[in-house]
Amino acid sequence: MCGIAGVVFKDGKLHRVGDSLTKMLDALQHRGPDSAGFAIYGGLGLMEDEYLLNIEVKEKPGLLEQVKSMVNTATQIKNEEIIPSVENYIIYRCKVSLNSFSQLKPLIMDIDKINDVIVLNGSHSFEMIKDVGLVKDIAARYDTHSKQGTHGIGHTRFSTESIVDRYHAHPFQSYIIPDITVVHNGQITNYWKLRDPLERKGHIFETTNDTECIVHYIADKLKEGYKLEEALEQSIKDMDGPFSYIIGTPNGVGIAKDQLGLRPGVLAENNEVFAIASEEVALREVIDTHDIEQISPGEARAYTI
Amino acid sequence: MQEFEINANHKTPREINQAIKKSAKENDKIIIKNPNAMHYMVAGLTEPVEVLIDGSAGYFVGTMIHGAKIHINGNAGWFPADNMTEGEVIIDGSAGDGVGQGIYGGVVVVKRDAGSRTGEIMKNGTIIIGGNSGFMSGLFMMGGRIIVLGDISNDAGESIIRGAIYVKGDIKSLGKNAKVEEINDKDKEELIELLTNYGFQLTEDDYKKFKKIVPRSNRPFYGKESEEG
Repeated sequence: MCGIAGVVFKDGKLHRVGDSLTKMLDALQHRGPDSAGFAIYGGLGLMEDEYLLNIEVKEKPGLLEQVKSMVNTATQIKNEEIIPSVENYIIYRCKVSLNSFSQLKPLIMDIDKINDVIVLNGSHSFEMIKDVGLVKDIAARYDTHSKQGTHGIGHTRFSTESIVDRYHAHPFQSYIIPDITVVHNGQITNYWKLRDPLERKGHIFETTNDTECIVHYIADKLKEGYKLEEALEQSIKDMDGPFSYIIGTPNGVGIAKDQLGLRPGVLAENNEVFAIASEEVALREVIDTHDIEQISPGEARAYTI
Repeated sequence: MQEFEINANHKTPREINQAIKKSAKENDKIIIKNPNAMHYMVAGLTEPVEVLIDGSAGYFVGTMIHGAKIHINGNAGWFPADNMTEGEVIIDGSAGDGVGQGIYGGVVVVKRDAGSRTGEIMKNGTIIIGGNSGFMSGLFMMGGRIIVLGDISNDAGESIIRGAIYVKGDIKSLGKNAKVEEINDKDKEELIELLTNYGFQLTEDDYKKFKKIVPRSNRPFYGKESEEG
C-alpha cells in the first residue's frame, strides 16, 4: 500500500513541520510498516555553498574514518554528527562546502565506492530522515518532532518490488537539479520506457526502483522549465500503472494521481495550511477536515510558497 | 431508547467491532465517539440497531451490514457500505471512492461529493450523492439506482448492465453500454419521495433537470441470445 503525506505552511515561516509530518505518518502507519521517511524543507539554515550528507555506515573498525578521509579529500568537513541506527549501522551526518551543486553527485558516487557505505542523500535546503522500522521508532531515533521547516513530505512504506533497507526507504531524491524529492504509493508499469530517455540524457539511476524514476522524470521536467504542476500533469500522461505520489521542492509540494484513480489521495486547505495525504486520518493531524477533497483520477495539485 | 457509547480512542477496529456487536443485542442506539477516521468500523453488523459515528470514518465503514442504520456526521473514506444487503448508511460529509460498492440492498446517502466508481458492481439498493460523483460512477452496475444531485464525471455508467443512474447536473461523458434518457412520471414520483425522505429539498424546476443513464443492452458482451431463455 504505502502512505504518503505532504504539508505546506503558507506563510513561508518556520513551523514544526517535523512534528506535523510525524503525526501524519504515524496515522498512516497501517499502510506500511517496513520503513518511513521525511524530507523537511526550509529549516537547515545552511550557507549558500553548504550541503548536508547523510551516510549509512556499517559498524566496522576503521570504516567511519575511511569515510571521513574520503570526504576530507574532496572538501573539509565543517560539522558532523553520528546517529545510532539498527542492524549494526550508524548514520553519519556531515556538513561540507562545495564550489557548486554539480560537485555533489560526484562526491556521493565516490563515497558510495567504499564497501558497506551508502550515501542516503546530500541536500542543501531540506533535511532527509529515512530509516527502516516504524514511524514512532524512527521519530524517537532522529527527534523528528523538533525539526522545523516551511514544508515537507513523508512516507510509510509497504515494500512490493524492491528490498527493505534505508536507501530504498522514501523519499527518493534526484540530483538533476537541487533538492527534489518524491514519496510514492503504487507502481509505474512503463518504468523502462521512462527510464531509457532519461538515461540517454545522462541522468544516473542508482536502483531499479520505479520511485527513483519518478523523481528523475520530474526533476528533468523542472530543469526544462516546466512549473511543478505542469510537470505533474505531464507525468500523468506519460506514466502507466496505479500511482499517487507527492513531490517536494525547495518551494513547495505537489501530488499526482494516475488516470484511473487506483491509489488514494485527499487534500485539505485553509488560509494557513495546504495538506495532502493518502487518507483523511493523516490530514486531521494538521488541519480541520470538514472540507476535504478527493484528488480525482488524472489530477495534479501543487502549492508553492 | 437505550443507548450505549463506545470511545474509539486507543482501540483497534476489531475491538470496536466486537464491542458494537456485543452491545447491539441489548441497545437501540450505539454512539461511537472519537472515531478518528478509522477503517472497518461497524463491519458485518447484522442487528437492526442505530449507530452514530460521531466524526469521520475511514475505509469500508458499514461493510456487509444487514439491517443496521449508520449515521456518520463527518466524512467517509473508500468503499462505505460495501456489499451491504439491508440497512442505511448516511454520511453528512464527503466520501471517497467506491461508495456502495456491490450493495444488494439498503440505502446509502452522501450529503456532499463522492469520489470515483460510486456504486460499482451494485446489484440492488439505492445510492444518493448530494454533490458530485466521480469517474466511472455505476461501473458494471447490475441493478438498483444511483441518484446524483450534482455533476457526474467521465465514463458514467461504464459497462452498466441493469439499473439506472439519475443525474441532476452535467454528465461529463458516458461509459460503454450507457445511454441517456429523459425521466418519466414514475421516475419523478420516486425521486421526490426518496429525496424528500432524506432531507433534500428540491424545487419543481430541479426535478425537471434530472436525466437517467441506463444500459443500451442487457447483454452487451455475450451476444443477444440468453442462456437463461
